[in-house]
Amino acid sequence: MGGVYALAAFGLSIVFGVLNVLNIAHGEFLMLGALGAYLIYVATGLNPFIIILLIIPIFALFSWIFQRLLIRPIKGKTETEILIASILVTLGASLLIEDVTFFFWPKSFTSIPYSLPTLHLGKVMIPTLRLYGLGIIVVLTVVVGLFLKHSYTGRAIRAVAQNVDGAQVVGVPTRKIAAMTFVIGTCLAAVAGVFYVTLYSMTPYMGLPLTVKYMVIVIMGGLGGLTGPLAAGLILGITETFVGYYLGSVWAPAVAYIAFIIILLVRPQGLFGLKE
Amino acid sequence: MSNTSKRWLGRILLGCFACAVFLGVGTPRAVAKDKIIIGGTVAQSGRFASDVKPWPELMRTWAHMINEKGGLMVKSLNKKLPVEFVLYDDKSDPSTVVKFYQRLITVDKADILIGPYTSPLTFPATTIANKFAIPMVCAEATASAIYKRGFKWIVGVDQPAPLWSLNYFDMIQKRTDAKSVALLGEDINLFTEIMEGAKDLSGKAGLKLVFDEKASKDTKDFTPIIVKMKEAAPDIVFVGGFIPFNIAFLKQAKELDFNPGEFHFTHHGISFVDALGKNANYVTGESYWHKGMKLGNYQAFEELLKRAKVNILEYPWAVPRFLAMDVIRRGIEASPSLKKEDLMATIKGLHFEGITGPMSFDKNGQGKNRPVVDQIMDMKYLFAWPDAEGYPPTHYKYPRPKWSEIQ
Repeated sequence: MGGVYALAAFGLSIVFGVLNVLNIAHGEFLMLGALGAYLIYVATGLNPFIIILLIIPIFALFSWIFQRLLIRPIKGKTETEILIASILVTLGASLLIEDVTFFFWPKSFTSIPYSLPTLHLGKVMIPTLRLYGLGIIVVLTVVVGLFLKHSYTGRAIRAVAQNVDGAQVVGVPTRKIAAMTFVIGTCLAAVAGVFYVTLYSMTPYMGLPLTVKYMVIVIMGGLGGLTGPLAAGLILGITETFVGYYLGSVWAPAVAYIAFIIILLVRPQGLFGLKE
Repeated sequence: MSNTSKRWLGRILLGCFACAVFLGVGTPRAVAKDKIIIGGTVAQSGRFASDVKPWPELMRTWAHMINEKGGLMVKSLNKKLPVEFVLYDDKSDPSTVVKFYQRLITVDKADILIGPYTSPLTFPATTIANKFAIPMVCAEATASAIYKRGFKWIVGVDQPAPLWSLNYFDMIQKRTDAKSVALLGEDINLFTEIMEGAKDLSGKAGLKLVFDEKASKDTKDFTPIIVKMKEAAPDIVFVGGFIPFNIAFLKQAKELDFNPGEFHFTHHGISFVDALGKNANYVTGESYWHKGMKLGNYQAFEELLKRAKVNILEYPWAVPRFLAMDVIRRGIEASPSLKKEDLMATIKGLHFEGITGPMSFDKNGQGKNRPVVDQIMDMKYLFAWPDAEGYPPTHYKYPRPKWSEIQ
């Protein structure tokens, strides 16, 4: 679970850090990614891990159109105006996506019925599907991390995240970078959706509550940062599991919010955020 | 204006008033009742929407079927009146439920109300019905807490939640040699009551309780629960939860190679099988109705499902919805008039054979709609229990094979 949290929260954070856009529709992209994966699975019977390779280009195109139509028009305003406008625009988009999906939705709940045999190492049992899932999430995260650190575009994204005016002065095409960042963030959510529908089940109305949870993770990790959400997501997932075992599962979801409050009291800037 | 003009104007106004009184304008007149209005809300958006998507179509088709035969007989008018539903989208939200039920009573002048979907939404709806003293028949609302508030104006077709699994534990006692049970319930009011009942019923069936825990409805990681269950080694794992909760649990039980003698889920449906594929095989569960159950006016129910294009396996809650409409139909036709007092008293006194067996209401207003047991074999739902007249032949296998043998 921590891996899925981390991946989706990472996408939300990167979009906020670079574009100053709080994408309330982020959970809907996860839901649509899950739905797309399910439909591809039903049509082709492909392994969900291979479906990820099909989902990425589909969502790259979809998210580019989304940002071109809804996000780009609100740029060029003050930071506060962009933030408020982005919340309103993406909230509207979120509600629209939910209702349109529900209208065409063929089933009440859906999940990909895919499983793998459990790996037995002596007395220890490892759920293979989750192990592979976590492996892919780690690889994906490392690839995105290396891309951000070593490629020109990645460095440009980080530059825009740090100082948009400075980046513009040194010739970074901020508009293109913004579009690319939104595409990356959305694709990460869609990929998280593939894991979600393989491990759990999905409904058209699951997006908004997930967005709220991912926002908590992003704030916990440090607003706008890139490492923070990854770490916070993993910490949260693992903590929920341990709390579930020792205190009872009924307490596990509350942990996210208790940890959130404690971290904000101790470190208002989040786990990996920098003091302003 | 001259005095003459004033006098004439006064005479004209007086004449108009006299004519108005003579013609009856402005005075209350008895308006002939030309239809029966049934009001309700349906979650067409929000978290419950997927469960009841075809409800508006189902209810309007039912009304159409009634109206094809001229409507419902109203004794006091000595004639049949057509039935009309006024429905609003409650967005799966309790405060919206309150707003629309108030509107149904005060603006739409509903003669009778049908409850919304699920106990959490029925709770506030019943408060409104009782406050305005309008009869309400609840459909998919099992939680006893709704009915234990002493409300006079509500009945519900479902039996009290603690009796939910009566048939299941009867089957376990008669058809298996199971010795122990592990209970896991989703932490909402309905399942708290069902699990309390399961604890009691499993004890009466001779099962030792080896694990008993609740989990939040948002639980995604069942690993700690399954690890503890494995340590307790139960014969039966009994899970009370809605379908998404149950799907996630079984997926993870498989991943962790957890092999009790049986997995039982209080709620499942065709989406459960779709989501789990072959891994759903041998799971037992409970649903209200099976094709082949020949009880009450089952032909009317089958006709309704066919006309409204509702798959009962996809939407099992169509059964209590139909029963609620059936109660309304029988209540109106048996009532001496459409007066709310007459209607409510008649409904509370109904005794009839419904599509799931005998139906009547206890002192709190709860009915007798009780689930039957089924088992998934070859990804199909097979009827498992009770073994009685009017029910299809039973199929049941215990214990289930291990996961490695299911693949």
